[in-house]
Amino acid sequence: MKKTVRYIRRELLPGLLGVCFGSLLLFPVFYGIMGAFKTPAEFNAYPPTVFPSSFGNLDNFRTVFIQVPMARYFLNSLITAVMTSTVRLTVAALAAYAFAFYSFRGEKVLFFLILGTMMLPADTLLITNYQTVSRLGLLDTYLGICIVAFVGASQMFMLRQHFMTAPTAVREAAQLDGCGDLRFVVSILLPMSLPVLLILFVQSFVVQWNAYLWPLLVTNSNSMRTVQVGVTMLTSIEGTNYETVLAGAVVAMLPAALLFAAMRRSLTRTMSQGAVIG
Amino acid sequence: MQRAERKPGAGAVKPYLYLLPMLVFAVGFVYYPFLKTVAQSVAVVNFKGEMTGFAGLDNFRYLFSRREFTIAIANTLRLMGINVPVTLALTILLAWFSARPRRWGPVYETMLALPMTVSMSAITLIFKVLLNPTVGFVNYALGIHAGWYTDRHTAMSGILMLTVWMGIGFNYLLFLSAFRAVPEDLIGSARLDGAGPLTVLFRVQLPLISPTILYVACTNMIQAMMTSGPVLILTQGGPSRSTTTLIYLMYTSGYRSSNYGLAACVSLIAFAMTLVFAVLLIWLEGRKVNYQ
Amino acid sequence: MKKRVLALLLIWAMVAGVSACAQAETQRLVFWHSMSDDAGRLISEYVKQFNETIGAREGIEIEAVYQGTYAEAVTKMNGMLSNGQRDALPDVLQMDATGKVSFAAAENAYTVDALLADHPEIDFSGMLAPAMANWRLEGAQLGLPFATSTTVTYYNRTALNAAGFSAPETLADIGALSVLSSDDIAVYAAVPNTPTLANWLGQMGSDLVDCHNGTEGTAQALACIENGALVAFLDAWKDLYATGALVNRSGSTDEFVAGRQLIMTSSSSSVASLLTRIGDSFELGVAGYPRVNADASAGATVSGSCLVMFDHGENRKAAAWKFVQYLTSADIQADFARGTGYLPSNAAAAESDAWQTLIAEHPQYDVGLRQLMETPDTMRSVTVGPAADFYYAIMNDISDMLENDLTAEETAELMRDDLGGMLEQYARANP
Repeated sequence: MKKTVRYIRRELLPGLLGVCFGSLLLFPVFYGIMGAFKTPAEFNAYPPTVFPSSFGNLDNFRTVFIQVPMARYFLNSLITAVMTSTVRLTVAALAAYAFAFYSFRGEKVLFFLILGTMMLPADTLLITNYQTVSRLGLLDTYLGICIVAFVGASQMFMLRQHFMTAPTAVREAAQLDGCGDLRFVVSILLPMSLPVLLILFVQSFVVQWNAYLWPLLVTNSNSMRTVQVGVTMLTSIEGTNYETVLAGAVVAMLPAALLFAAMRRSLTRTMSQGAVIG
Repeated sequence: MQRAERKPGAGAVKPYLYLLPMLVFAVGFVYYPFLKTVAQSVAVVNFKGEMTGFAGLDNFRYLFSRREFTIAIANTLRLMGINVPVTLALTILLAWFSARPRRWGPVYETMLALPMTVSMSAITLIFKVLLNPTVGFVNYALGIHAGWYTDRHTAMSGILMLTVWMGIGFNYLLFLSAFRAVPEDLIGSARLDGAGPLTVLFRVQLPLISPTILYVACTNMIQAMMTSGPVLILTQGGPSRSTTTLIYLMYTSGYRSSNYGLAACVSLIAFAMTLVFAVLLIWLEGRKVNYQ
Repeated sequence: MKKRVLALLLIWAMVAGVSACAQAETQRLVFWHSMSDDAGRLISEYVKQFNETIGAREGIEIEAVYQGTYAEAVTKMNGMLSNGQRDALPDVLQMDATGKVSFAAAENAYTVDALLADHPEIDFSGMLAPAMANWRLEGAQLGLPFATSTTVTYYNRTALNAAGFSAPETLADIGALSVLSSDDIAVYAAVPNTPTLANWLGQMGSDLVDCHNGTEGTAQALACIENGALVAFLDAWKDLYATGALVNRSGSTDEFVAGRQLIMTSSSSSVASLLTRIGDSFELGVAGYPRVNADASAGATVSGSCLVMFDHGENRKAAAWKFVQYLTSADIQADFARGTGYLPSNAAAAESDAWQTLIAEHPQYDVGLRQLMETPDTMRSVTVGPAADFYYAIMNDISDMLENDLTAEETAELMRDDLGGMLEQYARANP
């Protein structure tokens, strides 16, 4: 009896409450998914509904894929998101390694020089970066889409913080063994940092997958466009084809959400290990 | 924060080598364009973006004389002033609530973190429909006639709802991991001393997760400062400038209206404001934040 | 597993890339457009048709690329022009009035004047004069009208007739409808912007900015202050607001379709989609653009977009012209007009059976074209450098006048500062 009460109080009620919070938060997404199945007439009807009259109406999704080469956009988004995240993390990890394990002249200055990039938002540098990228002949290429996102100061900062949590004993032991940088990284640092690298990769991937303004600017052809740009191609000037727009939005958010769901377990494990503490 | 120096002599070149790629990209795609922006702010820039002469402080003077500018500053500060504390409070509360692993935990943890995967353009389009005064569900469900993005009195609230929503997922995840990193025995011993959950939260947990709070406050502040995407897609700064933010002003005056000198001034001011707030936060960090 | 999927995707991408490069014999031209929705679908269809017929015969292949809104496409063009990225520019570009200034200044612009110099035999007399004139800047014909439109008045005919009203012709007529407004129903919602303000000023014989609305030189100041036209309009607008018939926000197609806004002034290009969306719920009425007052002349300026060409060598220039010729032909123009509500840009299209049958069945389509022909050619659409800022500043200043209850004179002063300042600043930076 007491056990049941305790279970209800400590597990069931908080659990239900949590799911309630979650549902409330995700309502817009849910609404968007439902709306993607509606017909234009249902959108014009009063009162507005949440649920479509039938889930058999796939016209909107068909429109999304026919009106624009959505499959190609997907591929482009995937390639650029993976490329950006990989390079960005590698570059950030290298820098973090230097800051965490070495003392050198100009360390402080360089550290703040890199952190300072966080203060200069990419949006404000759009046109000048565009000029650079076009001069490099990278307009309408994957590299052109990715290159401005290779600087990851916050990733560098987090990795440095994390590297510094490596127990001093382990590090000293590694040194005593005469273990070189590479071996230290491969056998100790990397395994230890895998969870945090993973979470940063997912974050990077999601951010790049969702990038909008820059890809719009540097891509000129259908063969290079990304999904987020593709989605906005579904809106009309009057913006009244809600059902198509919602179908596009659903299609655009699906992969990132799936990736997240697939990685949930490792992310949860990371969380429980407390891998990321600012 | 003590640090063992690895192989001092031999490693003299190595750290620079490791830093090189980062520095190349940082200089090429952040500092160089930034310096160019500085140059443009005091130059006469034609519609092609070419600097054709020295303007002194004319661009700034013109900017300060534009009514949009003060409005944009006020709007941006308002966005920041509401967004940052609300996001912090919400995500800390949610993370605190779900800190203890439960059987259903993974379900709602995933739900609460999911917004981080939803793209700005997708969720913005969804909010556009959801808050549409005619066909949207919110007005009907609440039985109100609000114009949301079409009404100067409610447009900013609509933008705020959207930006807070977008910020929840990732920050929640960060706080959750921070809460879980607080050693159980610390909480346990506080409990034994007779401390209630709230006392534990304020005396033990919050001080210990303060680095995360600082980080989230900082990144959120910058994000709020740079709000432009939803404004671009939903309101074009209107109605009646009610959602004109600094970066939007920069975009519309600079790129769309080909006044690159003016745009450069706006982005420098946005930059300066960000810097002031960041320094303030870092100063607070020095005083309050507790590194274990 | 994940790696393998990725590898497969990469291989697919490479194969797709290689096969795209395989056919190098034909001339590949790039066409940037800004049409989405129904109009976008039609564009894709026309391009496909062209590639299969004329293109296949002459060895031309057009790649149509949607570049977002006109503003985005023009921003992109400006970026390329300022970087000398000539090769990245398209062969053919669909451009609205905001691109006129920079296109005219582009070194490799292939204007219609240049085309006529190459091919003196080409005859454009079949084009509708007002549509053609809209794409002239300082005497040079830049492009050819493609998606031509004008602003018209849409009204809920069922509701107006039921209350004993006919189509409104003046702002005062709209004010008289205030008896129909209620908590749920607005009579008219609008905030004037560059083209609509220019319309109302033009009806009173005034330009908005000098140099004949910027068509004969770089505009440097407002031209509607000293002659009193701006104040006259603002007073009329305040009077309309005072009747309660006007709601101080932009018109909403949704509200109009839902029957909750009775009058909407909007582009004639919406006729087709409005007819579809309204369906049987009420009868759609279309009338000419409302006049400021009974003394004002009728009419509204031309809006929409044109096709311009860039010079990428003789062969591609010739091919680009073939494509432009195709898109501006009577058949395509009539079909495009029928599918959207854009106006046919040439006389042959306007006289075609397809168009005549259409307007016999749906007279709503005809209003815009008639207005286009009746509008005096002294009424010109506005060309200014800082187009986007200008547009929103007009909206904000006039909306603020109603919200904060300023006088027309005060507002005119504010607009002189705001708008005049922008023009001055632009003229200084771009002498």
